[in-house]
Amino acid sequence: MDEKIALKIEGLSKVYQLGRRKEVVALDNLALEVKQGEIFGLLGPNGSGKTTAIKLILGLIFPSSGTIEILGQKHTEVSVKEKIGYLPENPYYYRYLTGPEILNFFGRIFSLPEETLKERRENLLQLVGLENSGHLALKHYSKGMLERIGLAVALLNDPEFLILDEPTTGLDPIGSRETRNLLGRLQSEGKTIMLSSHYLSEVEKISNRVGILHQGKLLALGALRDLMTEWKASDIEDLFVKVIEWSKH
Amino acid sequence: MSKTAFRSRSIAAIILLFLILSPLQDSIDLQRRRMGFERRLMLMPGQVAGNLILGGFKGLAADLLWLQVESLFHSGQHYKMLPLFQSITFLQPKFITPWAVGGWHMAYNISVKAKNEEEKQFWIKHGVDFLAEGIKNNPERYDLYFELGWTYFNKVKDYANAVKYFELAAKFPRPEYVDDVLAHAYEENGQIKEAIATWERILAGPDTPFRQIAARMLSRLKKYGTTKVETYQ
Amino acid sequence: MVKALIIGLNTFRETLRLKSYQIILIFALLLLGSSQLFSFLTPEEQLKMIKDVSLSGIEIFAALLAIFTAMTSLRNEFETNTISTLLSKPLRRSEFILGKFIGSVLAITLSVILMAAVFSTLILIKQHSLEAGLFSATFLIWAEMLVIVALTLAVAAFASTAFTLIFVLFLFLTGHLTGYGLELAQQAKNPLLQALTKIFYKVIPNFENFAIRDEIAVGVSVSLSYLLKTFGYGLIYTFIALLLCLYFFQFREV
Repeated sequence: MDEKIALKIEGLSKVYQLGRRKEVVALDNLALEVKQGEIFGLLGPNGSGKTTAIKLILGLIFPSSGTIEILGQKHTEVSVKEKIGYLPENPYYYRYLTGPEILNFFGRIFSLPEETLKERRENLLQLVGLENSGHLALKHYSKGMLERIGLAVALLNDPEFLILDEPTTGLDPIGSRETRNLLGRLQSEGKTIMLSSHYLSEVEKISNRVGILHQGKLLALGALRDLMTEWKASDIEDLFVKVIEWSKH
Repeated sequence: MSKTAFRSRSIAAIILLFLILSPLQDSIDLQRRRMGFERRLMLMPGQVAGNLILGGFKGLAADLLWLQVESLFHSGQHYKMLPLFQSITFLQPKFITPWAVGGWHMAYNISVKAKNEEEKQFWIKHGVDFLAEGIKNNPERYDLYFELGWTYFNKVKDYANAVKYFELAAKFPRPEYVDDVLAHAYEENGQIKEAIATWERILAGPDTPFRQIAARMLSRLKKYGTTKVETYQ
Repeated sequence: MVKALIIGLNTFRETLRLKSYQIILIFALLLLGSSQLFSFLTPEEQLKMIKDVSLSGIEIFAALLAIFTAMTSLRNEFETNTISTLLSKPLRRSEFILGKFIGSVLAITLSVILMAAVFSTLILIKQHSLEAGLFSATFLIWAEMLVIVALTLAVAAFASTAFTLIFVLFLFLTGHLTGYGLELAQQAKNPLLQALTKIFYKVIPNFENFAIRDEIAVGVSVSLSYLLKTFGYGLIYTFIALLLCLYFFQFREV
């Protein structure tokens, strides 16, 4: 087990059976590694398999074949989830709870001591800019506010490995920048971040390496600069389009 | 643990638990039979009652039928009450009132409407048999012993049987009037010694209006050998 | 276990806010109160009517609440996708299911207590006393609801809302009738039919075990050993149903 690798995926496939003869290959033999301390961007158009890959990593769905290791442990071990933070796409929580209450709820799932929980709750609410919304039930939150509380939930256990699925959806440009700055800060603290997004410019600004998925296959993997040189792309959008176009042939 | 291994172990555990459950169910069934919680299988007239039985709510079904009995009684449709008495007591044999009222109804109200003596006796006997059936289902209570004893005493004038059933009623917790009527039945049956003993028992008992009656009856019995003297004077 | 309690308390709080829970409970309390209306009966008959209507009402409404509560609490987790966030945390799927069970049971317990309080008040007004049998009957109704909650979770773990509702209601009805089926089979004198109905009788939850309300309403007493045996039956069956729930849920993709 290589401890410098935060995420190791080998031969990962997910096939959905639809009836007796039809099957859909959501992910085809994915292999990649995410190094500890880096920000890895998982890119791809809708239906490319990004969310499938994330759900497989988190154990929400089960692989047809292949292996996944997180921070040197099998991904199915419950203890590994103590070290992961996850922000789903379009986060949604229990409507009648307030921001502090939802953090309390998840904090107790992590068995955080009350003092630690209190401190983190206050710090995180301030970090995501929700310190003045403590009285509001989540049902009154805007989409952007839900993303921000989702981020607070994801950071509650001070995770080593953060998985973010479309983290800037619903955020305005200022909010997006604040999130990018935060992710940069988290990286400087030694955290590993994997984010899936189709906001290419956002990914370009913060990712160290990217992987481009299309129709379940990993078409490109590496440092952004190296890929742009290899594909003779002017920017990330150009790279993305060229890779997808190439796969069609 | 793999999916197959997990599922195999789950199924094994479930089967094991059902094997533990089976003798427990048998034990529960035995105890229910001993406590007299019988299952009664029958087809019911009346959709509502039938649906309720299908849900296992026999008591509620019996109550609804009893409301029908009330309604028929007040509107004088006495014959229509008969199948309802049968149904209610079948559904809930521990419900005393329909046995008591049904038996009384047959022996008194319906027999009075009979066209001839044969029919009259038929209905009196039917009432008596109905009460006897009620006693079989409720052998540990005074109520139906008393009702049957009263029917023998008041309607049939069979004092021997009246005494028999009043004596049985007197073995269980009962109101004071049971002993009072028993004493009268002893007298009518020629058992004067037993009648005196019963009045004396009432007199020695708790202070109720029946003590005054007992004192009066005792003095008449001892003086005249009967309690009826003043009544016919 | 602690995590299951956390999930359970949250589920309980969520359930109390459900409109369907509130409406069914209020309707139940009103109906129990209305059993006072049989004033044209004799006092003894009125008491019996109150006991029958109340105990039957408590059982029916508690069963409806049990099914709706358990079904909704699980369904909502899937529909809102909160389950993805939950299962991404260090929470076993068994702890999640146990938590849902605990939360639903807390909600049902509250509803049974409230209904029993109305019922007891009516009896006290009429009878000026409360016999132990009434508490026994209510206790067994509550024990029956443990089984119903667990069964609902087991079915909801793999089936749609409509199927869950219909199937569990069907089980509730059948569970009261399996004894009759057994008697019918014995009368038919067909060995194969008798064997099949016996298996059916042993496998389908026998809700008639918990049904002592009819006897309690006419003053028949029930022994402590019967209460304990039936409660034990309920606990074992609940455990079977929860195992079944886990069987379906452990590898369900969310």
